[in-house]
Amino acid sequence: MPDTPKFYRWLMRLYPARFREEYQPPMERQFQDEYRETDGRSGVAGLWLRTLCDVSGSAPREMAHELIQDLRYSARVYRGRWLSATLAVAALGLAIGMSTAVFSVMNALLLRGLPFSEPSQLVELWKASVGVPAGHEAFQEWARKSAYLQEAAAFSASEMNLTGTRGAWRVKVAETSANFFRLLGTKAVVGRTFARNEDAFGKSGVAVISYRLWQQWFGGAPDVLGASLELNGRVVTVIGVAPPRFDYPGNASVWTPTAFDFEQLPKLGAFLFETIGRLKPGVSLRQAQELFDAEVQQRDPQSLRADELNRARLVSLRDQLAGSVRAASWVLAGLILLVFLAACANVAQLLLSRTTERRQELAVRAALGASRGRLIQQLTTEAMTLTAAAAVLGLFVARWAVQAAAAVAPAQLAAQAYTILDWRVLGFAAALALLTGIVFGVLPAWLIGRLQPSERTMRIGAGRADHGTRRVRAALLALQAGLTLILVTGSITMGRAFLKLLDTDLGLHPRNVVTMSVSLQGTRYRGGAAQWQYYSEVLDRLRAVPGVTAAGAVSYLPLASNIYMANAFQLDSGQTVPRIVMNAATPGYFRAIGTALLAGLDFEAAERGRLEPAVIVNDAFARAAGMGTEIVGRSVKASWSKTPYRIVGVVATTKLGGPVDPGSPQIYWPVEEEPPETLTFVARVAGKAEAMLTPCGDAIRAVDPNVPVYDVKTINQRLADVLARPRFYTTAIAFLAALAISLAGVGSYGAAAYSVAQRQHEMGVRIALGASHGRIRRMAVREILAPMVCGMAAGIVGAGAMSRYLEHLVVGARAADLWTCGAAGVCLLVGGFVAVWRATGKVLGIEAGEALRAE
Amino acid sequence: MPKKQQNALDRLLPLSLPIFHMLLELAEGERHGYALKRAILLRTNGKLNLGSGALYGSINKMLEEGLIEESDERPDPHLDDERRRYYRITALGRRAAQAEAVRLRDLVKLAEARFDLPEPA
Repeated sequence: MPDTPKFYRWLMRLYPARFREEYQPPMERQFQDEYRETDGRSGVAGLWLRTLCDVSGSAPREMAHELIQDLRYSARVYRGRWLSATLAVAALGLAIGMSTAVFSVMNALLLRGLPFSEPSQLVELWKASVGVPAGHEAFQEWARKSAYLQEAAAFSASEMNLTGTRGAWRVKVAETSANFFRLLGTKAVVGRTFARNEDAFGKSGVAVISYRLWQQWFGGAPDVLGASLELNGRVVTVIGVAPPRFDYPGNASVWTPTAFDFEQLPKLGAFLFETIGRLKPGVSLRQAQELFDAEVQQRDPQSLRADELNRARLVSLRDQLAGSVRAASWVLAGLILLVFLAACANVAQLLLSRTTERRQELAVRAALGASRGRLIQQLTTEAMTLTAAAAVLGLFVARWAVQAAAAVAPAQLAAQAYTILDWRVLGFAAALALLTGIVFGVLPAWLIGRLQPSERTMRIGAGRADHGTRRVRAALLALQAGLTLILVTGSITMGRAFLKLLDTDLGLHPRNVVTMSVSLQGTRYRGGAAQWQYYSEVLDRLRAVPGVTAAGAVSYLPLASNIYMANAFQLDSGQTVPRIVMNAATPGYFRAIGTALLAGLDFEAAERGRLEPAVIVNDAFARAAGMGTEIVGRSVKASWSKTPYRIVGVVATTKLGGPVDPGSPQIYWPVEEEPPETLTFVARVAGKAEAMLTPCGDAIRAVDPNVPVYDVKTINQRLADVLARPRFYTTAIAFLAALAISLAGVGSYGAAAYSVAQRQHEMGVRIALGASHGRIRRMAVREILAPMVCGMAAGIVGAGAMSRYLEHLVVGARAADLWTCGAAGVCLLVGGFVAVWRATGKVLGIEAGEALRAE
Repeated sequence: MPKKQQNALDRLLPLSLPIFHMLLELAEGERHGYALKRAILLRTNGKLNLGSGALYGSINKMLEEGLIEESDERPDPHLDDERRRYYRITALGRRAAQAEAVRLRDLVKLAEARFDLPEPA
């Protein structure tokens, strides 16, 4: 008899295991018969064609048929252990969901393209050796000669007043070089972007506006081209609209080609420019960095050695935009991986105990001729049912988590308006589920593979786990305990750091305070007198609003992310105090915001009969000068001026940058002395501050509708904004730690209950031989807790290694000390002990006689 | 016929064409898979040529539904390959085939009433 053609054998593999096992011999035989009876080439070809059609029709049908049977069987199997199955699915679902959520954020930040062409070539140059201050020609010359850049563009971004018939807004304006859009590879959706040399003097009165501004300001009108906009009082003509998602740099609404035009638009200062570039083809980021460093080394070696923030460096634009979120995402991803592993350990425990329980059933089936393939198929289907359910749950969790995360997303992420869930994210979730399913389907199958249908397995009957399985279970317990310890320690460390942030004395009373900013740039208020007149009228109106108990204004408000002007000051003793933030305040400001006057007088009281102009300094200033409140009455001079100022009061130090700010020394001028163009008003109100936002804002607008009133927020809202990210991360890791603790609890309970059930007979024998119930129970408890303790010892090492990275999530989260680890360990042990103690309660019910009779 | 059995039969009907043919064939005696295929091919003038996947898929289904069972009796081992499987019809299978035939007869009667059918040759 001829052998069955090999190809037909191979085709048989397409059928599911059980079908193949049953029908492969007769089918092969039948194929042989037909093959033998076929004549000629065309006959054989026809047979193969028929066979292929037959297989492609029947194999999927049989596959689906068996899958449904296996699924039904799995459902029956899990119905018996619904509690542990539900817990395992819930844990795995949460873990898959959270991994997916973090992946989706990382995907948006790190993997997906920016809305620029070939973003990997784009770099940002910090402290480029030739920049805007050198002027247009020098900058272009430098870029042309660069060994690593095809092209370089410069820009500086600042807020400006946008006025016109539609009101007065405050918008972010990017003043760029003419090649800005060309370098990024961005084209206008309406009109055009800047032409070459449009940044030259006299040509730069044009602007590209953002898609959003086009919609909101012009109502999306098609005749927007040629329309005029007034930016800080200067008129520019709209020549184009940027694409919908484009708002680089950081939320920009208008772009003007005025980076080098110091006349056209009043700038904050040319030192705030930034430089971006596109690398030459074939130049890697590393090569470019080396060339850049060499270039800076030649021109300005000092700037290479400055601190991290001020050092000259070349970075990829993508990294620059992802910023601190990038590091935080990696840390979060690492933490979630730990939870994922802990959840997997639970699923593994569950499946392992199922497999051990079913050893006899499986061994009998194997003895009756069920192939290994068929058993693997059954077990894999069982595992896949679990993980598929978990994956579906996981997607819901991910959706929810991403929504929660979007609320605190970094500006770049929100600004680029990415849709978070895409095919990559869904693929990631599916891959995770598939991987877990296969691993946990194959692991038990592998254990079965070692289980030959020998006499021994038949005899030992259901369940007495051999040493190998016991070791695997102990390892899983240890793994889970270790991971949980790491997470709990991290959570305690971060929680403490966050509480410290919350508890930080900001130097003000944040309750019941409303703040709002105005800017007089480009308005009809020119010169100090007119501006002061406007400001004092606003103050009068604010104070007249019912419910306002105090009002004042300041140029740099605490908690508002600003760029500050700082300078050195000299006391009358000749002592110089460096880096003093120069602020301006009106009378009543300190009372309104609730900053304590530690000594001396406020401006309003000091005004009467003073000879020298008055200033107020903060506590940090006095300390920096090596003094206390006795600094009141001394006079001080700015390093560039000869005019002496009299210090009339000392106030508490406020934190401009929020809780993490160390509190810089400040000096306050009376606003009246030299009114700044931008000012933030502060009103203390009776009752809820949120309800007073509108009346206060309206009161200011009523003075002059052409002056934009913006950032109308309560101080508490500003504080919440500053703390949003640390709050999110702290909550996230506390949640992860809680999840890990419950996983460990369920895991150790399950392991203990299982172990007692398995060893009932042995325990009965021991009791028959005279051991007390208490002793047996202690033995059972020890058996579970011992691997947990070993795992935790390893976890302490892991926690030490991890806490180094927590600083990326919450500033001030320092290395975990041994006490924290110890506290976490004790918590975990107590939890484990309670779970195990309850689970081993059954031991008390074991009776010697019964156990022996069971034999 | 008890109601329960009637329900079980109703659930099986209508039988698929290959299954009805196989039951018809097995009503004559035990057959192995390939013999069934050959007989059906012959009876349908080559129109119903079951591939082995479709054949054993149907056999598997009939076994699960209890319409047929595997036979232990084998012909003289010299004439046979041990890889062949022999099947025989069960009582349920016989009843199912009868019920299917009745169903078809009713259908044919209806067709006769509607269309003027020629007399069988």
